[in-house]
Amino acid sequence: MTTSPETALWTLTLYALLTIVAPPVFYLVSVLLAPKPRRRSRVKTMPFESGQAPIPARAAPFPIEYFPYVIIYVAYAVITVIAFIVVLDMISASQNILRGLIILVVLALASVYASSLLPAIKQRLERGRA
Amino acid sequence: MIDPVQLFAQIFNLLPPPLQEIVRFLYSEPFIKAAIFPGALFSTVLGIFAVWFERKLFARVSLRVGPLHVGKVSGILQLIADAVKFLSKERIIPEGVNKPLFVLMPALALVLSLLLYAFLPFGAGWIIFPSDIGLLLFFLVAALTPVPIVLAGYASRSKYPFIGMSRMALQLFAYEIPLFLALLGVVLAAGTLNLEKIVEAQVAVPLAVTQVIGFIVFMVTMLAETERLPFDIPTAEGEIVFGWQTEYSGVYFLMIQLAMFEKVLAFSFLAAIIYLGGWIGPPIPGVPETISAPFWVILKAIGIFTLVALLRGVYPRLTIEKVLDLGWKYLIPLGLINLIITAALPLLGDVIRL
Repeated sequence: MTTSPETALWTLTLYALLTIVAPPVFYLVSVLLAPKPRRRSRVKTMPFESGQAPIPARAAPFPIEYFPYVIIYVAYAVITVIAFIVVLDMISASQNILRGLIILVVLALASVYASSLLPAIKQRLERGRA
Repeated sequence: MIDPVQLFAQIFNLLPPPLQEIVRFLYSEPFIKAAIFPGALFSTVLGIFAVWFERKLFARVSLRVGPLHVGKVSGILQLIADAVKFLSKERIIPEGVNKPLFVLMPALALVLSLLLYAFLPFGAGWIIFPSDIGLLLFFLVAALTPVPIVLAGYASRSKYPFIGMSRMALQLFAYEIPLFLALLGVVLAAGTLNLEKIVEAQVAVPLAVTQVIGFIVFMVTMLAETERLPFDIPTAEGEIVFGWQTEYSGVYFLMIQLAMFEKVLAFSFLAAIIYLGGWIGPPIPGVPETISAPFWVILKAIGIFTLVALLRGVYPRLTIEKVLDLGWKYLIPLGLINLIITAALPLLGDVIRL
C-alpha cells in the first residue's frame, strides 16, 4: 500500500481540519448544555485563593535561582544541532562514521565536564538564604 | 440469495449524482484514514479509554475499586458521564485574565496533541502522512505542545498558575534536549528518519535492546514532557492547587485533560514504534496483516502506558531542583554517550572482522 504525496497531503489536510473542528464542537455542546447564570457574582470570577479574598500582588516572582539553566539551554541547543548534523552525515555514508565519532566524543566529554562543574542548585539555594 | 456487494451497487446507482459523490468521498482512503483509523475517531476514543484505564489501574494499585456503577462492566461509561458533567458546567472566565489567550489556549493544546497522530504509523501504509522525515515532524509538533501550556499559565494572571507555568518552562528547557538526543540515537541505529523504515530496521532485534541507555533516557524524558508523576511539578495538586490549570473549569478543563492524555498516548505509541518494534510480532492465524499490524502496535503502546500509569501509583513527586539536576547533569551526557556507543558498535564489528 503506497500512497502518492498528493494523497498523503490531502489526508493530512482532512485530519488537520477535523482536529481544528473538535474544540468548537466541544464549545457548542457546552453552550447548549451549560446553565446561564441569572445574575453575575463576583465570588465566582475571583482568582482561586482557597476562598479567601485574593491578595492583590498576583504575579509571583519567577524563580531566579534557576535562571542559569535557561542560559545553558542556548548553548546546548547549538550542541544538539551539531549532533543532529553529525548524525545525518554519519548515516549518509559509512566512511564518515569515524570523523563523526570524534566530534561526538568531544561533545560528550564537554557535556560531562560541564555537568561536573555545574554546582547543585540545592547548594546555591542554601547560599542564597545565608 | 442476494449478493450484498451487488445490492450495495444497485442502491448506490439509485442515488442522485451529488449524493454519489459524497458517498464516494466518505468511502475514499483519505477520508477513512483521517476520520476513522488512525485519525480523529480512533484517537478520541482511545483518549477517553485511557482516562478510564488509568483511573481503574491507579485505584487497583492503592487497593480501591475505582469507577464501578456507571455502565455494566467496571464503570466503563464513567468517563462519558464525566465528560457530560464538564460540558454542562457554567463557563467561568475569572476577572483580570487575558481573555483571548485564556479561551484559545486549551483549544490549541487539544489541536496540537491530536496532530501528533498524523505522523504515527500503525502498520505498513496505516499512516495519515507518510514522510521521509516523520520522526522530525513528530518532534516538531511535540516541541510546540508546551507553548499553549505556558501561555495558558501566563494568561491566567493568578499566583498558582504562574508558579506552575514557570516550573513547566524550566522543566521543558531541561528535557527537550535529552529527548532529541535519544531520538537521534534511534535515527543513527536505523539509518533513517522515516518511522515506517525505522520499524522495518527492527525485524531482527527491537531497538530497546540495542539502545538500552537511549530507551531509558527516552522514557524519563517522556514522563517529564507529558507531566506524569514523578515529574508532575507543574500541576502538583495539593502543593500549588492544580498548577497552571488552576483557573480552568468546565469545557476548557475538559479540553486540557483530553489534550494531556492524547499527548501521553502519542508518546506511548512513539515508544512502541521506535523502540519495541512497532507492528513486528508473531502472525495471528486467520487474521490478515492489515488488521494484526495495528493490533500489535496498540498492544505494545498500552503496555508502555500501563507502565507510565503504574509509576503514578508508586513514586512520590520530585522537587524542582532534583528534576533540573537530573535533566541537565545526567540525561544530556547519557544521551551523547548513547550516540557514541551506537556509532562505535558497527566500527567495532569491522575491526573484529578484520
